[in-house]
Amino acid sequence: MSVQHVKIVKNVLAGNDQTAERNRARFNAAGVLAVNVIAAPGAGKTSLIVKTMAALGARARVGVIEGDIAGSIDTEKVLAAGACDAVQINTGGNCHLEAGMVQRALDDLDLDRLDIVFVENVGNLVCPTHWALGEQLKLCLPSTAEGHDKPIKYPEIFAVSDVIVLNKIDLSELVDFDRDFFYKAVRALNSHAPIFEISCRTGAGLSAWADWLLNQHPHLDTKTERLHHLSGAPGM
Amino acid sequence: MHELSIASYLLESVEAQAQELGAQRVLAINLVAGERAGIVDDALQFSFDLLTPETLAEGAHINVRRTFMRFHCAPCDCEYSPKVGNFSCPDCGAVGQLTADGTELLIESIEIET
Repeated sequence: MSVQHVKIVKNVLAGNDQTAERNRARFNAAGVLAVNVIAAPGAGKTSLIVKTMAALGARARVGVIEGDIAGSIDTEKVLAAGACDAVQINTGGNCHLEAGMVQRALDDLDLDRLDIVFVENVGNLVCPTHWALGEQLKLCLPSTAEGHDKPIKYPEIFAVSDVIVLNKIDLSELVDFDRDFFYKAVRALNSHAPIFEISCRTGAGLSAWADWLLNQHPHLDTKTERLHHLSGAPGM
Repeated sequence: MHELSIASYLLESVEAQAQELGAQRVLAINLVAGERAGIVDDALQFSFDLLTPETLAEGAHINVRRTFMRFHCAPCDCEYSPKVGNFSCPDCGAVGQLTADGTELLIESIEIET
């Protein structure tokens, strides 16, 4: 019997990352823009999805994968608000979604009939950050009511996000939100992600956000034409 | 608290490697975990110990080498680790830019009994 020290050098989450790549390939093949929505509980993830669908109107067909520890309240909300399709994932206590959960959810979504899929992660600013799901856009949704120091306390999500949507902008004065402090901290962590200030309650900023989102879709025009060609319907 | 999920991926990887190497037992796992990977060492070991009974990795100790978040200050052209609650350069006070340091979550090596 002998003891050996064996060098390996392997990413611990390589298995999750491989599954995420397969999910991304499915989204890409179907011409779907997938958005991983990460926020603290109560920041307004479901409200953002509902209001974004309204702002997009007929310009995009939206599907939603809802990640929650338990229940299906959010799935019912997004379907009532006009989502074309929605699938609920109950993590049973897990604090984040993993690529394998999204992979199984994709079997229940008809991606060919969708343009944008929001994946609403479990409310948490830490754990979901580290698990790739196969999304093309990672969205961080802080809200003014949580305080301007969130980028200092939870730097990683701000560092790795492709876009930051700051909700509850209508409350900023009431909650003493220090805008300069927030922007300075975010820009130290992430120099490139666009920041949208919105209010799901008043509707402020939502149309600019929805327009930007639509522009991130790589080939919405081509896909819409292809679908119309297949169904024989005239263009919108 | 994502350590239980991480521990299950860690165990899967380590067991596969150990089997490939013909190990009888895994004694230790040497991990590199960046500050930005958000791992609590004790929580990871605790979670790992819940998963390992009757596996090759039962009783294995996880040694964690930490790497740290760094910023680059353009005016000083230097790198620094931020103080708690402040991303500013300790020398000039400018807010630097985050570098790629401190994001790793790697199995560097394992110690096995063959």
